[in-house]
Amino acid sequence: MPSYQIGSAKKESSEIAFNRRESLITQLKTRFSTYGYKQIRTSTFESYDLYTNLSGTVNKDDMVKVIDSSGKVLVMRPDVTIPITRMVVESEMLEELRYFYIQDVFHNTSSNGSTERTQAGIECLGSNRPEIDAEVIMLAIHNLKELGFANFKIEIGHAGFFKSIIEPAGLSDSEMEQLQSLIQSKNIVEMVPFLKELTLSEDLRDAIQAIPMLYGSPREVMQQIPTSLLNENMRKNLNNLTSIVEILEDYEVGEHIVLNLGLINNMNYYSDVIFQGFVEQVGHPLLMGGRYNQLGDHYGVDLPAIGFAFEVDLLQQAIQQKGLLNGVSPMSQLVITYEKNKQKEAFQIAKLLREETFPVRIYPESMEFSINPTDTKITFTNGVFNITTGEDTQTFHSYQALLNFLKQNGGE
Amino acid sequence: MGNITLALAKGRTAESTIDLLKKVGIDFQDFHEDTRKLVFYSEDASIKLIFVKAVDVPTYVEKGAADIGIAGKDNILESQTDVYELLDLKIGQCKFVVAGKEGDFSPAKQRLTVASKYPNITEQHFRKKGMDVETVKLNGSVELAPLIGLSDVIVDIVETGNTLKENGLAIFEDVEKISTRLIVNKASFATKSKDIQRFINRLKEGLEAEYENSNG
Repeated sequence: MPSYQIGSAKKESSEIAFNRRESLITQLKTRFSTYGYKQIRTSTFESYDLYTNLSGTVNKDDMVKVIDSSGKVLVMRPDVTIPITRMVVESEMLEELRYFYIQDVFHNTSSNGSTERTQAGIECLGSNRPEIDAEVIMLAIHNLKELGFANFKIEIGHAGFFKSIIEPAGLSDSEMEQLQSLIQSKNIVEMVPFLKELTLSEDLRDAIQAIPMLYGSPREVMQQIPTSLLNENMRKNLNNLTSIVEILEDYEVGEHIVLNLGLINNMNYYSDVIFQGFVEQVGHPLLMGGRYNQLGDHYGVDLPAIGFAFEVDLLQQAIQQKGLLNGVSPMSQLVITYEKNKQKEAFQIAKLLREETFPVRIYPESMEFSINPTDTKITFTNGVFNITTGEDTQTFHSYQALLNFLKQNGGE
Repeated sequence: MGNITLALAKGRTAESTIDLLKKVGIDFQDFHEDTRKLVFYSEDASIKLIFVKAVDVPTYVEKGAADIGIAGKDNILESQTDVYELLDLKIGQCKFVVAGKEGDFSPAKQRLTVASKYPNITEQHFRKKGMDVETVKLNGSVELAPLIGLSDVIVDIVETGNTLKENGLAIFEDVEKISTRLIVNKASFATKSKDIQRFINRLKEGLEAEYENSNG
């Protein structure tokens, strides 16, 4: 019968999980910075009014609220894009700014049931060009490739497309909400009777019904768009999407791009291109983002901007599911024991080794301690070092000889 | 290449679906009605079929254990999963209703108690109506609840209405039409787009042929 030990497996897995998460975050951060982004952070507690004044962003009931000592209501950061935008507006910097962040966001009701989610994202503020949009999407693709995903897609849509098609219909809020959720689940079966109940022109009804299936390779989708309903503004928006896709082809990542004009982001601040990334088998997007050119207007400044964020927890889960990170094991440590009368020398040795960045634990030989199979044991007696790794024991007569050995075998 | 995993709800849905698939040339040869196996492959091995409990189909699909699922709208609604819902197979047509003792509906009461096997659907329905209700989750014999005073009304699936009638209950309100639907994992739709669309189109053709036969 196979046996298993819950206790030890749990301990090991929490250490490994943490290490994997750290190395994942490091990888993302490194890649972000190679595209010119600099890390910043925003406050965890924010004014409740900052969000209630912006309609259609975060649901009021969804925010985690706290009350400060003067009785003022604060929320725990539900979103990162809004505070970064406000911060940039307040700093009155006008040149192009590239920021990235690794921060937690808090929600009362999230799809996976947890209140706290870590996001790793970027914001590029101050410029409005398809070249920038394409580079931002490329950065997301670069990250996913580097993490070892082979089969992934970035779905690209436009926040204004659905809005402008639907505008002449003049729907009520609840009708709008219903229609949005039908489009998001591509539920044409129920959309047909729903639209019949509304008084719409036949053209408009056909156009709305076509939205969910405007999905696939950019060229094919562009040809399927019902041209009769396109006004000047929509034509411009679609041309903009086409240029973004064309630039992405020059990055040689066209195979990862899908056009999804039925894409709707519940964050109302998105104004132009929006996108989300899927990897095989994970039913929720690992990353979401888009251009939000009008968010600055709320603070009285014209600030075009684009950004996206990875859901770190989901990303880690996807990586584990795919078995892409098998190589990361807990770091081996040096465990030094010493005779009490050689304490001073032993401390010096430990200090030198730590300065060489070896992880070192040091104990007097009279003390009891536990040792992991991956650790390397060093006994320091009579000025001689005995190293035990597994079954072998080797002897060194000087610190220099010890250090040379460790450096060769440390796998650096 | 291009393997698709299809999750089917055990029972009547599975049989009708497999019949339909056979008609469009997707054959699961080692399937027969009394089998206890849970996994089958189509002839060309391009489709893997798994049998799961009806209520679990949406979970399998949302979590990516299956790319496509076929299950009743009741289970899809109750699970509140985030998936695409692309096709109506028109099997197992029935509806969700609010029902209670005949002539004994007293909406003047402050707070209505509702018994149901489907607490999420129940809460959502009454929330939409702006009513604050107390939901009692039951696992069967829901019709009993209003008779013995466990609840004021029930929310349940009705096909013919006979069970309700025999227990002296009447329908107060229709909530939603139910039938068997095809759902798809959102990531699979993106990453296996062509295979999935091809599968759905074949199924669609089969449905249309069936519809024409029954009307011709």
